[in-house]
Amino acid sequence: MKKGISLFITVLLSTAGIFAMGSQEEVKSDDVKFSWIIESEDGMLPGVNPLKVEGDIITAGSSTVFPLSEAMAERFNDEGYAFNITVDSIGSGAGFERFTVAGETDISNASRPIKDKERLAAKEIGRNPIEFRVGTDALAVTVAKSNTFVTDVTLEELSLIFTSEKWNDVRADWPNEKILKFIPGTDSGTFDYFVEEVYDKDSALILGTSDLQMSEDDNILVQGISESPYGIGFFGYAYYVENKDVLNVLNIDSVEPNRENVDAAAYPLARPLFIYSDAEIMKSKPQVAAFIAFYLTYVNEEIVRVGYFPVNDSVLAQGKQAWLDAVNGKY
Amino acid sequence: MTEINIAWYKIRPKYHESIITWFLQFCAGVSILVTLGIVFILGKESLLFFREVSIVEFLTSTKWQPLIEEFGVLPLLNSTLTTSFIAMAIAAPLGLFVAIYLSEYASERVRNILKPILEILAGIPTVVYGYFALTFMTPLLRIIFGQNTVDIYNTASAGLVMGILILPLVTSITEDALKAVPYSLREASYGLGATKLEASWTVVVPAAFSGIAAAFILGLSRAIGETMIVALAAGAGPNFTFNPFEAAETLTGYIVRISGGDISYNTVDYNSIFALGLLLFFITLILNIISRKLVKRFQEVYD
Repeated sequence: MKKGISLFITVLLSTAGIFAMGSQEEVKSDDVKFSWIIESEDGMLPGVNPLKVEGDIITAGSSTVFPLSEAMAERFNDEGYAFNITVDSIGSGAGFERFTVAGETDISNASRPIKDKERLAAKEIGRNPIEFRVGTDALAVTVAKSNTFVTDVTLEELSLIFTSEKWNDVRADWPNEKILKFIPGTDSGTFDYFVEEVYDKDSALILGTSDLQMSEDDNILVQGISESPYGIGFFGYAYYVENKDVLNVLNIDSVEPNRENVDAAAYPLARPLFIYSDAEIMKSKPQVAAFIAFYLTYVNEEIVRVGYFPVNDSVLAQGKQAWLDAVNGKY
Repeated sequence: MTEINIAWYKIRPKYHESIITWFLQFCAGVSILVTLGIVFILGKESLLFFREVSIVEFLTSTKWQPLIEEFGVLPLLNSTLTTSFIAMAIAAPLGLFVAIYLSEYASERVRNILKPILEILAGIPTVVYGYFALTFMTPLLRIIFGQNTVDIYNTASAGLVMGILILPLVTSITEDALKAVPYSLREASYGLGATKLEASWTVVVPAAFSGIAAAFILGLSRAIGETMIVALAAGAGPNFTFNPFEAAETLTGYIVRISGGDISYNTVDYNSIFALGLLLFFITLILNIISRKLVKRFQEVYD
């Protein structure tokens, strides 16, 4: 329901956004000044004074990236940004749809890279998506605390679990009980990623299975998994961290999802997290450029608390360089 | 005196009258146009769907997963009917007894307290009922029948709470039907030595039968269209099962889940929600027509 309400609010906001965009088309991006620039913190991006940032920002997309973007938005507000920033949790695919087809959003959150056909769609409305890597997620496969028989699975067993009917179909000494599966919906980047890694892009296998519950709302999944010893599901690591008291996370191929294994690229289900925007939007809406600069500057101070893993400085610097290239001439 | 008044009234020019008539006709016209528009859109989009999917497969296959070309509506329809019948199993008897009590037994004072309370029940937002199902009814069922028998999302819990939701509707229409039975019938049965219970049960209720049936059918059609409770509590995946303790998504639940996630236009799963909408529309339309017919027949008897 939370989603319904936020959807409604977004509809309102995005309608307002469309009107705002209509009037802004008159404004040449050359005339727009970045009035919020202060001294640089990292020697690369300009420093951001949120008190001087004006105008609303609309973001939508991945439910995995949502907690991170929300944390950054909150910090942006705390430091003085006085306008509205929406962060909608609707799934990576739906986020790109809004960014590339309807063109309603300024920033798209994604737990998978943009697809070629989404890039093409963006081109048609005159947008050229720029990718900023903001972190790494270790996709968490979780069971309820009351589940005592699974702690470690191989990738093959994992693929069997989400297509089999009963636990003992996967391993003979597991109980003769139904596997209750709770997975993100097909609009979600997490779903796409899982299907790509575990089923070699063939989504028919997992969609055709029994006792499957799908939702774009990860909290619904958490509740479903935590209430039965025979439930299992997966989502971004942050949702596991938030619900550690009711969930157990599984090791995959005996590798535990943690900072060490993610940094060493040992955990097989580690994946990049992104935000996307467009040079023209950043130039004509200084508030968007400001927020992204702010995001890239401080993301590593927030990301661990949220429950994801920081990327190293050189990867982050690539994003910062992309930012500088995008606003070329403005800074 | 009266005659003069009428004559005076007739010769007066009635511009304001015609404006009012015109305005009222306009309002009626708008509501008809809106209905036609909705039916048109539903039909148009569903046509796109049925161009790709055979109607036979749609109505007979037991698997629904549009993304992998499984287009059998039965799992969704089945759980819609399961939740609705569970709801009716609660609301029909309870509604009937409450209505009998209110119309035959309750004193004016009791009725003045009880009726507003029932109306409060009708005023609770359905999303609140949904959370009530998820956080109260489901745990209760799991305590009674066991954690492993009852899934966290299940149709029984949604159905039971939906029964509470439609109770006020069923009660008030049933009560109207009972009240409409002429008092002379009751007096006649008292005259023959019937007790109050006998009079109510063997004379008033049968006499109001078609009205009561209409109340039940309207309740059923309300239950079939109900969305929020089943979306929250009944489950988020199509599942063809007759076990009310298992999760199973309903027609409305599927539509709300799919449209909530911003699906792409012109895909089969986008069109599929219109086909489901059309099916729902037909089910409730037929139920409403039946109940209208019943009410009409019942009015003819005593008017």
